[in-house]
Amino acid sequence: MARKISYQQAINEALAQEMRRDSTVFIIGEDVAGGAGAPGEQDAWGGVLGVTKGLYHQFPGRVLDAPLSEIGYVGAAVGAATQGLRPVCELMFVDFAGCCLDQILNQAAKFRYMFGGKAVTPLVMRTMVGAGLRAAAQHSQMLTSLWTHIPGLKVVCPSSPYDAKGLLIQAIRDNDPVIFCEHKLLYSMQGEVPEELYTVPFGEANYLRDGDDITLVTYGRMVHLAMEAANNLARQGIDCEVLDLRTTSPLDEDSILESVEKTGRLVVIDEANPRCSLATDISALVAQKAFAALKGPIEMVTAPHTPVPFSDALEDLYIPDAAKIEAAVRKVMDASRSAA
Amino acid sequence: MRQPGPIIGIIANPASGRDLRRLTANAGLYSSTDKASAIQRLLAAFGATGIAKVLLPTDMTGIAAAVLKASTGPMAREQRWPALQMLDLSLTQTVADTRLAARQMVEQGVAMIAVLGGDGTHKAVAAEAGDTPLLTLSTGTNNAFPELREATSAGLAGGLLASGQIPAAIGLRRNKRLLVRVPQQQLCEWALVEVAVSPQRFVGARALSRSEDLAEVFACFAEPHAIGLSAICGLWCPVSRQAEQGAWVRLDASATQVLLAPLAPGLLQGCGVTASGPLQPGVAYPLSLRSGTLALDGEREIEFAEQDTPTITLDLHGPLSVDVEAVLAHAARHHLLVVPRDQRHTPATLR
Amino acid sequence: MSTQLSSEQLLHAYEVMRTIRAFEERLHVEFATGEIPGFVHLYAGEEASAAGVMAHLRDSDCIASNHRGHGHCIAKGVDVYGMMAEIYGKKTGVCGGKGGSMHIADLSKGMLGANGIVGAGAPLVAGSALAAKLKGRDDVSVVFFGDGASNEGAVFEAMNMASVMNLACIFVAENNGYAEATASKWSVACDHIADRAAGFGMPGVTIDGYDFFAVHEAAGAAVERARSGQGPSLIEVKLTRYYGHFEGDAQTYRAPDEVKNLRETRDCLLQFRNKTTRAGLLSAAQLDAIDGRVDGLIEDAVRRAKADPKPQPADLLSDVYVSYP
Repeated sequence: MARKISYQQAINEALAQEMRRDSTVFIIGEDVAGGAGAPGEQDAWGGVLGVTKGLYHQFPGRVLDAPLSEIGYVGAAVGAATQGLRPVCELMFVDFAGCCLDQILNQAAKFRYMFGGKAVTPLVMRTMVGAGLRAAAQHSQMLTSLWTHIPGLKVVCPSSPYDAKGLLIQAIRDNDPVIFCEHKLLYSMQGEVPEELYTVPFGEANYLRDGDDITLVTYGRMVHLAMEAANNLARQGIDCEVLDLRTTSPLDEDSILESVEKTGRLVVIDEANPRCSLATDISALVAQKAFAALKGPIEMVTAPHTPVPFSDALEDLYIPDAAKIEAAVRKVMDASRSAA
Repeated sequence: MRQPGPIIGIIANPASGRDLRRLTANAGLYSSTDKASAIQRLLAAFGATGIAKVLLPTDMTGIAAAVLKASTGPMAREQRWPALQMLDLSLTQTVADTRLAARQMVEQGVAMIAVLGGDGTHKAVAAEAGDTPLLTLSTGTNNAFPELREATSAGLAGGLLASGQIPAAIGLRRNKRLLVRVPQQQLCEWALVEVAVSPQRFVGARALSRSEDLAEVFACFAEPHAIGLSAICGLWCPVSRQAEQGAWVRLDASATQVLLAPLAPGLLQGCGVTASGPLQPGVAYPLSLRSGTLALDGEREIEFAEQDTPTITLDLHGPLSVDVEAVLAHAARHHLLVVPRDQRHTPATLR
Repeated sequence: MSTQLSSEQLLHAYEVMRTIRAFEERLHVEFATGEIPGFVHLYAGEEASAAGVMAHLRDSDCIASNHRGHGHCIAKGVDVYGMMAEIYGKKTGVCGGKGGSMHIADLSKGMLGANGIVGAGAPLVAGSALAAKLKGRDDVSVVFFGDGASNEGAVFEAMNMASVMNLACIFVAENNGYAEATASKWSVACDHIADRAAGFGMPGVTIDGYDFFAVHEAAGAAVERARSGQGPSLIEVKLTRYYGHFEGDAQTYRAPDEVKNLRETRDCLLQFRNKTTRAGLLSAAQLDAIDGRVDGLIEDAVRRAKADPKPQPADLLSDVYVSYP
């Protein structure tokens, strides 16, 4: 039975259902319950934005507040994952990766290869990503490409409540380390979500809109802006195909190439900074493997090569929006028409 | 012309207070910072009692460096600290450093050596000090020989005595010692408090803190309020620091009645005492065990086997130490620390 | 706690230390021929630490090691031939030739890996200790790290967490006096690494790492404490390494006779032999027999490792993920 719940509730539900199903799943992070050692209420926060609220009382001893020690508790989650448990650790903001990168980059991601295929590290690191909360340069980044670059990691960026639940359940059941990127502006988004357990497989992009003129490839919150742009463009007679990658590693190369083979045009939309990003990666992929199909230049819509600014006047400029996507699409369309 | 002022040596063992008993009991930690502070308190007291110069060994843990730095500061000037002279030692970070420092201090004619450490540190200094008096300060783990005292008041007593303001007959006391001989190993070591005989075959982590690891304890003196292995004698057959005899007890791990004794800080152990008696001076006592280890002042140091025949002998002619209470009582009786207000920062001997 | 060891336990301890020594001394020789690829950091001189701690552990107890990890692996029971083949970069190595000297691991033996990142093992064992706690098991976890790693934030965070969560976790700081070419007496701001324990609410002790029996006793007390739920502790083991930071390091930063003097006066194997034979617990003949057996084992491991095949090109792409579409 599907009913409408929020992206945040979908994540909470996935955690609760998997914890109920599998006693090896546990949660560790900063204030994932809140109140540890304090005189007042336990589970006072349930995560800094309340995503894990309620789990502390449902699963005694399995929702663990950690000291503010990203190296310590992320590393402990990695260690516990090698011992047959399935930790879901929460890195409050992805920006804090600077504190604990080694434990992901050099430990979790490397064990299986470095130990000759003998290690299994079923770790999930949930983390909040993206700009839009006026949270400035150290609480707003989109570091997807950083994780995607690292062999051994899987990287998930759900764009809807349905995907959030299905992808998180898949992440918890997956036997490789998974970075699960939750966009903070999507937490309140409502959507149809089945009550029962289900998984959304990794490496399978979601065709959100069929179209013949141009392919829009994106992920995360940008999916919704791409759809808005596509709907506006449809009224102007431009028929966009919209692909939500869902996971950036593994990357559904086949779907991207298949779509570009059909449309002959590509715009990649990425909330991250442009250099060495998903946008450049997908552009390069298409240029290498579908060059003959291209009718015009590839366009990228990304944040500028700057930190995330604080003032709303600047942050609104920083984040790609539907108008920029529409402009990029028109640019590709114009260039390819004049070329033809 | 004035005579050159007296010199005092200060030895703080950087390694004291870190052994296994922090793990097996709840023994505390005496950091180098604490040791450096205690030395500075001594210097204040020495400055006030007319000590001209202090010898301090270098060390690798920053004690001497911290003191040296403080000695150039305003407090040192105001309190007229004695001049500091560093002993330049080639450090091994073993007990040899302590012994070398003590030897050099004696060679330079110090009037006294102030020791910050435990029983083990005091024993090492005493081995080199001859009749140079020791001002004993406890910073180790199980301390029976040095009493727990605040460095400032101990420093006042030491300074008054070293600067000749207190008759030696009043301020100094002669301590006993135990001589441990193992002829087969050409060993003659000594202990200031007690020698414990353990069935443990190796010195290992040195500390002994379980009653089943003890077969016999020989003590120079044994105070009922002591902490450490001498506490067994102290709570069974106490003998004072002044008495011209010592005490021994024999233990049996299977005894049904046990004596509760604090073998280490926080560690009360039931010890099955099966025999005890006095220790007469000059008599070489054999051991009841044929192989095992000997712990001198709490730490296993000597391994002995079937071929060895160790003996323990009480000797009444051990090191001299400052009797802080007696010195300060004498100072009080004679108002030695009473000075005109405007001379309160002037060392007593310069007035 | 101090315990009397049986002659089997004594012989085993000697065999472990002797195996590590022979393994490392042989690598020192073989590395010079140029046949061994990459970096090799030898543990020779530090054997009493690994043997003294591991004597108290079982397979289900976890350890994490560091770049100087051969000794920990051998003492934890990792196959010596498999290790040698790994160091030679052979397909038959314990990690299929993909890890090398710095990444030898055997999870079936509770060996979470040597580690090329200084200090990184500490949070990992906090994790394995947390796993034991969540599973309701009394397994303990031990991390071995050096004086250099004692300055890493990862170690501090792990120590704090282990204390806060009361984990069965033991932090063994093997202080060999040098982090690469930098002296620990310069780089470690407190006088003893053991003193840092106080800041994390756990006991810390400093132990003579040249004496197997000293390490064995201290580790016994720490393991007993951890296994019985009384929480973490820190053991600083003071010892020396006979060879350089890595093979090829001429150690010009050390005093000219420093290693020679320590080898002659403090060597852990020499001390062990002298003590146990003088005490009449072991005979020279028993120890000599172990020497002979170990030398044969190492000879065999080197011979086989040299002859073994290298990984195949297809191995380049395998084992990145358990599954990847």
